Amino acid sequence: MKKSILSLILASLALLPAVKAEKLVLKGSDTLGAKLVPQLAEAYRAQHPGVTFEIAAEGSTTGIAAIIDGTADIGMSSRRAKPTEVATAGANGVKMFPTVVAWDGIGVIVNTSNSISALSKRQVEQIFTGEVTDWSAVGGKAGKISIYTRNTASGTYADFKELAMSKHDYAGSAQKMAGNEQIAAEVGKNPSGIGYVGMAYLKAPGIKAVSVDGGLPTQASVQSHSYPLARPTFFYTKGAPTGLVADFIHFVLGADGSKIVDQVGFVPMK
Amino acid sequence: MSAKTDIKRLDQRPMHEAVLSKNKFRILGLSMDQIIHYFFFGNAWIAILVLGLITFSLFREGLGFFPQNYENLQMYRQCGLEFVDIIKDQAEAHSALTQYLDKMLDRKNGELRKGGMDEGKIAEATAPLAQFRKDFDESSIPLQDFVRELTQQAAAVKERWGVAKENSIAREQYLKAGSKDEAAKLEVETVDFRKESEALKAQIPRLVEINQTLKKRLGLLLLEFPASDDPKLKSQAVHFKAAAGKYINAFPDTERKLANWSYDTTIPVHETLTRFLFGPQWVTQSFWQDWYGMVPLFVGSLAVSVVALVIAVPLGVGAAVYINQVANIHEQNLIKPFIEFIAVIPSVVLGFFGVAILGTAIRDFSNGILFDPAWVAHLPAFIQWLPSGLNAAARTLTSWVPFFPISERLNIITAGILLALMGVPAIFTFSEDALNNVPKSYKEASFALGANRLQTILRILIPASLSGIISAVLLGFGRVIGETMVVLLCAGNRIQIPDFTQGLGFIFQPVHTMTGLVAQEIPEVVKNSLQYRALFMLAIMLFLISLLINYIAQVFVRKFKISVG
Repeated sequence: MKKSILSLILASLALLPAVKAEKLVLKGSDTLGAKLVPQLAEAYRAQHPGVTFEIAAEGSTTGIAAIIDGTADIGMSSRRAKPTEVATAGANGVKMFPTVVAWDGIGVIVNTSNSISALSKRQVEQIFTGEVTDWSAVGGKAGKISIYTRNTASGTYADFKELAMSKHDYAGSAQKMAGNEQIAAEVGKNPSGIGYVGMAYLKAPGIKAVSVDGGLPTQASVQSHSYPLARPTFFYTKGAPTGLVADFIHFVLGADGSKIVDQVGFVPMK
Repeated sequence: MSAKTDIKRLDQRPMHEAVLSKNKFRILGLSMDQIIHYFFFGNAWIAILVLGLITFSLFREGLGFFPQNYENLQMYRQCGLEFVDIIKDQAEAHSALTQYLDKMLDRKNGELRKGGMDEGKIAEATAPLAQFRKDFDESSIPLQDFVRELTQQAAAVKERWGVAKENSIAREQYLKAGSKDEAAKLEVETVDFRKESEALKAQIPRLVEINQTLKKRLGLLLLEFPASDDPKLKSQAVHFKAAAGKYINAFPDTERKLANWSYDTTIPVHETLTRFLFGPQWVTQSFWQDWYGMVPLFVGSLAVSVVALVIAVPLGVGAAVYINQVANIHEQNLIKPFIEFIAVIPSVVLGFFGVAILGTAIRDFSNGILFDPAWVAHLPAFIQWLPSGLNAAARTLTSWVPFFPISERLNIITAGILLALMGVPAIFTFSEDALNNVPKSYKEASFALGANRLQTILRILIPASLSGIISAVLLGFGRVIGETMVVLLCAGNRIQIPDFTQGLGFIFQPVHTMTGLVAQEIPEVVKNSLQYRALFMLAIMLFLISLLINYIAQVFVRKFKISVG
C-alpha cells in the first residue's frame, strides 16, 4: 500500500514538467512595467494561452540587476546600462543585450490651474535644481514651487538629470515619490506643484504638460527627436534573446505590439 | 490485596506523583517532561540565535559602508571637487543674499496687495527695490560662470577616474574568468591628480580678479540701496547691508582657503563616521558628489515622532487615568477594547487614509475650505449659506495663522497625527499598568486625609506612577520612531532639515525619515553599492536607537519598583 502511494507520487512528479506552463519573468522600470508591459503581456497571452507572466516594476536598476543575477528573463529599463553594470555582468559571465522597445518622452507637468504653459530648458533646470523657488521668477503667479521627483533607483530620475538638468543635483526641497502615478497625483492636487512623468501618464487628471524649449512631448516630436526630453527604453536580456523571450520581443516590436505601445502613450520604434 | 491498598486517591498522592504519573511512555528515549524541557529550551535558544544572526548580518553589511565612503570622500578631494565647492560656497552666499531681497520684496508686495492696491501701482512702488535686487543678482554672473567652468573641469576628472576604475574592475574580472583578450582590450588610464589639481589651482588668480571687480561693484551698489520709510523694510535693509558687508569681507578667506588647499592631504579615518552621523546632507546618485549624512533623516524621524507624542501622550495617559480611576465598569468594558482595537489597524490602512483624506483635509482647511466649493454649488440654494458661511469663517480664522495657507498635503503633521493614533494604545496600556501597580494603601491614605478624587489622582497616583508613565511614553516613542508605512506614505519624503525659523510652522513641512528611506530604496538599490551599505547603516542606527529607548524605559521601570517598595 505504502509503496503504491510512493510510486504514484513519483509518477506525478515525473509528469510535472510536461504540464508546467511556460513562464516569463520581467523586472525593472516602473515607467515600462506599470502600464505598457502588462498590456503587452495580456495581448501576448491571448495569442499564446500557455504562457504566464511575472512582472515586477520597481525601477530600472532592479531590472538590470535581475539580468545579472539571473532572476529575470527580461530586465526592463528606461536607461542604458552603466559601464559598472556591464562589467559586473561580464564578471558573472553574462553578456547584457539591449533591445530598444519603444521611445518615451519625459513630460514636465504642472497643475491645470497653473498659468504657465511653456518653459525653457534653462528654466526647467533652474526649477529642479532649486535655483528658482518661486513661480513668479518664471513668469507665473507668485507662490512657492513644490518639486516632485522619482526616487533614486529610477531610470527616469537619472535620465531627467541628464536630459533636463545638465547633470546637476535635484534641489533639497524635492519630494521623492515612488512612481509616475504618485507624481501625477500629487501635481494634480497641488496648484504650485511641478514634476515629470513618462508620456503614458500625461493624461492623469488635474495635470498638463508644459512645453520645453517650445516642444511638447507628442508622438511626432519624440519620433523626430525634436523634443529635448526624449529617450529610448530597453529590454535587457542575457545574451541575444532566444526561444520564448525572443518570441515575446518579436511580438512587442511587431504590428500588434506597436499598436499597444502607441495606445499606452509610448512611441513605437517605427 | 496488598496491591489494591497501594492505589491512593488522587488527593492522597504526593503532588509530583499526581502530576507526573502518566509519563510512562518515551519517545527516542526521552520522557515526556524531558521533551517539554528541551522544547522550551530549544525555542528560547532559537529565538536568541535568530536575533543574533540578524544583528550579525546587519552589521556585516553595514560596516562595509565605512571603507567605501572613505574612498568616496578621498575622491572628492583628489579630483578637486572640494576645491570647486569652496568657490561654490561663495556663490551660494551671494544667492542667499539675493533670496533675502526676494523675501523683502515678497513681503512688501503682499502687504500692498492686502491694502487693496492694484498690481500696476504695486510694481511702481517696489520698482527701486526690484531694480536693486536685479542688479545685485546680476553682479554675480561672472562668479557663476567661473564656478560653472571649474565644475565641468573637476567633474571631467572625476568621470575619467570613474571610467578608469570601472575598467580596472572589469579587467580584473575578465582575467579571473580567464579571457585575456577581453581584458587586454580594456585600457585603464591612470589619472594624474597632481597635474589636474595644479590646473585647478592655476585658476585662483582669475577668482581674485573676479572678486576685486565684484567688491567694487557691490560697494557702489550698496550705496544706492533704495531708501524706504517702512520701518520693517528699514530694519531688513540694515540687516541686509550688514550681511552683505560680511559676505564681501569673506572674499580673502575664500582665496586663502583655495591657496592652502591641496589634493593629497589625507582625510582622517574617523571622518567617514562623523560625516555620516553629523552630515547635513543626504545626496545620492549624484553626478557631482554623493553625501551620506543622516542628520536630515534623523531630524525628520524625530520631528514626526515628537509631534506624534505631543498628541498621543495626553490622550493615552489621560485615557489610562480615566479608565483606571474614574470610569465605571460599563465604560471600562466599552473604552478599553476600543483603544486596544486601534493597535490592530494595519499601518498601511492608516497611511492610505492619510494620503487620501487627512492630508488633503488639512491643506484645504489651511486654505479656508471646510466644504468643497464644487460640492456646495450642487446643494439646493436655500441651504448653501451654511457651508459657505462656515467656509468664510474658516478663512477668517486661518488667515491669522502665520504659516497658513500650506501647499504640501504630505507633511510632518499628517504623518504625526496618524502615528499618534498608533502610539496611543501602547501608551494607554503601559500607563494603566503603572497606575495599577500603585499600592491601594496610597489611595486609601489620601482619601482618609480628606483629599478628593482629583487631588488624589494629581498629587498621589500620578506622581507615584510617574516613572512607569515615563517608561510607557518611551515605549510609545520606540513604537512610533520605528513605524514605516505611515511615514513613507504621509511624511512627504523630502530629504531636507525642516526650516525651524518658521517656529511652529515647521510641522507643515515635508520630511523624509530613516525608516521611510530604507523602505523606499532598499528594494531598488544596487547590491553592495555604497548607497546599499549606507541604507544598512541607517538600519543599524535605528536598531541602536530602539535599543537605547528600551534600555532607558527599563531603567525607569526599575526605579518605579523601588519607589513602591
